[in-house]
Amino acid sequence: MSKMYDVCIIGSGAGGSPIAYELSNAGFKVLVLEKGKDLKEKDVNKDELAVSRRDMFTPKLQEQRHIINDRNKDGSVTRYDGAEYSWSFWNGSMVGGSSNLMSGYFHRMKPNDFKLKSVFGEIKGANVVDWCISYEDLEPYYEKVERLIGVSGEVKKHKFLEPRSTSKFPYPKLEENGVTVWFDKACDALGFESIPTPRAVLSRNGLDRNTCSYSNFCGSYACATGAKGSARAALLQKCDAEIVTDAFVYKLESDAKKITQVHYYDSDLKSHTVDAKIFVLSAQAIESSRLLLNSKNEFFPNGMANNNGQVGKNLIFSAGGSGQGRFNFEDLNEDEQKELMQRGLFFNRSLQDWYEYEDNNQAFKGGTIDFLFEHANVISRASREFINDEGELIWGEELQKKIHKTLTTSKVLSFEVFNDWLPTDECFVSVDAKAKDKFGVAVGAINLWGHPHDLEVGEHLAKNAVKVLKEMGAKDISYSISSAPPPNLVAGGCRFGNDAKTSVLDKNCKVHELDNLYVTDASFMPTGGSVPYTWTIYANSFRVADVIKKDLI
Amino acid sequence: MQSRRSFFKTTFLATSLLALTCKEVLALTTPLEILEVVQVDLFPQNMISNANAFAYLSLILKHSRVTQEDKDYLRNGTRWLNEESLKQYNKNYTQLSKNQRQKLLKIIAKESWGRGWIKTVLGYIMESTLGDPIYGINKNESGWKWLNHESGLPRPKEALL
Repeated sequence: MSKMYDVCIIGSGAGGSPIAYELSNAGFKVLVLEKGKDLKEKDVNKDELAVSRRDMFTPKLQEQRHIINDRNKDGSVTRYDGAEYSWSFWNGSMVGGSSNLMSGYFHRMKPNDFKLKSVFGEIKGANVVDWCISYEDLEPYYEKVERLIGVSGEVKKHKFLEPRSTSKFPYPKLEENGVTVWFDKACDALGFESIPTPRAVLSRNGLDRNTCSYSNFCGSYACATGAKGSARAALLQKCDAEIVTDAFVYKLESDAKKITQVHYYDSDLKSHTVDAKIFVLSAQAIESSRLLLNSKNEFFPNGMANNNGQVGKNLIFSAGGSGQGRFNFEDLNEDEQKELMQRGLFFNRSLQDWYEYEDNNQAFKGGTIDFLFEHANVISRASREFINDEGELIWGEELQKKIHKTLTTSKVLSFEVFNDWLPTDECFVSVDAKAKDKFGVAVGAINLWGHPHDLEVGEHLAKNAVKVLKEMGAKDISYSISSAPPPNLVAGGCRFGNDAKTSVLDKNCKVHELDNLYVTDASFMPTGGSVPYTWTIYANSFRVADVIKKDLI
Repeated sequence: MQSRRSFFKTTFLATSLLALTCKEVLALTTPLEILEVVQVDLFPQNMISNANAFAYLSLILKHSRVTQEDKDYLRNGTRWLNEESLKQYNKNYTQLSKNQRQKLLKIIAKESWGRGWIKTVLGYIMESTLGDPIYGINKNESGWKWLNHESGLPRPKEALL
């Protein structure tokens, strides 16, 4: 039997939860439909086998997967079935979504990220546009996220520090590993500006949550203390929104101007219907476009909100790549060795010196480099030692000795490069004509292509990161910049804009064609900035929550 | 995964005659028996024993989140190894001397299928050596002690199977 809600939210991650929090706390009747389970602090642990080797937080690919259409250099397209190739674009099917599993590296977008086309001009083959809101519009909400989600850090002035309405983060920076001092010295010597990385992790008790326990297992793992600012811990556990788990929404119904109902399957594949005044879609970028495209009716024969053919278009990821260098005991004194092996403390250093730069008299939008120690997952680290220096597969005592030496007398410092993945006509979400998931619903197809400009910028950033590792004395330095899409850094597909012909959403993230449907995950972003998306998703969702609140009052 | 599949197609045809001629010999050994011996050939005996690696591989072959294709690959690799053993020495892998087995592993490591399969088995050995003891592996946390590794907390209260 159908119930009537003020607001029905599809997806409980960083895009949906701020709406649930704000509107339920304002007294409205809110329902959240979540495909995954509700795992609280007491339910999670640091089991590497379950979390990282058996992927317990994502659907089995044999039951739910994507089709990936990868564009080759010659323009041909190769179709990959995600289940067959173990190519997964799932991130975290659980209450709070992938925000449970994030590392929480929190950077704001910069003012010029909101006007890339105006500042840097057009790039051939890319659909770069200015945002229809400015940094100033979003700044109060970035600040709100700092307070409500809990961001720790130290504001340090640097060339590209964005304007702030407050002088400090509400939580002091987390405790740092001693090797950050080596890093800072190297940056000083090179004339680079080392920045303490802000984190969505509490450095002291607050917000009715516990401080970080420095468990050494943060990224990829759900937080057992509540320190990490997941949408679940920070928002959903602090409001009265009703949450239905194991609810896979498979269709939106509408008339010409309004969404009337949504339909979902429970874990027994039984169908249910929900009525609400306002619907909010926040199932993560790829799945939100898929649901719209799968929801066809007489008013929207090409999929919900898709009469202009824009749904799914301009899918973006975070461009860039990663690199690393190794510090070996043989190059260090005893104190340095101890510092290197300090357990649990964060590295937390970033560089944004090249957020914008010039090369051959041409202005480039650059990006961010985050530095961090390699993940503490011991099975993964040991498994990286199967090949010797000659490129041969080794086993037995030779392997045993190599693993022991590497893991007990050296440590890897990694870096991750974030730059803009330019939106193009060739990178988009569609629905596959053949493949269906366990619910019998057509699966999303991810059509992939990375603009060559992205690689050029990524290379520039990586080469500067390498300079720091060399200055620090790291060995075996390497990096890889590629067009491989990071599945956890995906946005676009329903870009917002003032022109209803070229965008899906208006400036308030309401669908142009419908009066009561909003999309508030990263789908709305026409460009992604050169930072991880989560802080911006949270901030924008709080902004939209204010709009919906006014609508409902 | 692609090369794995194409290997399936070609190998079944190519080895059917060999399997027929050696039918009696093949019947004497099973994939699990071969896996038990291979594990010790790939990682030192004391480590394997502490890891309870053989029991762990049996668990993997029944695991709800290991795909049937991956389970088949693990099993089929033992067949291909044994076929290579019959071809080189006319004996089952489990009947070879330690030196012969090492030579054979070096031979298959030069083939893409062999390299991939050995890496897969080594991956599971690392899991049993360094995974949480809740799975009946890594006895007395000996693998963690070997690498001065401290597990993250909290530890799991039950195994994910």
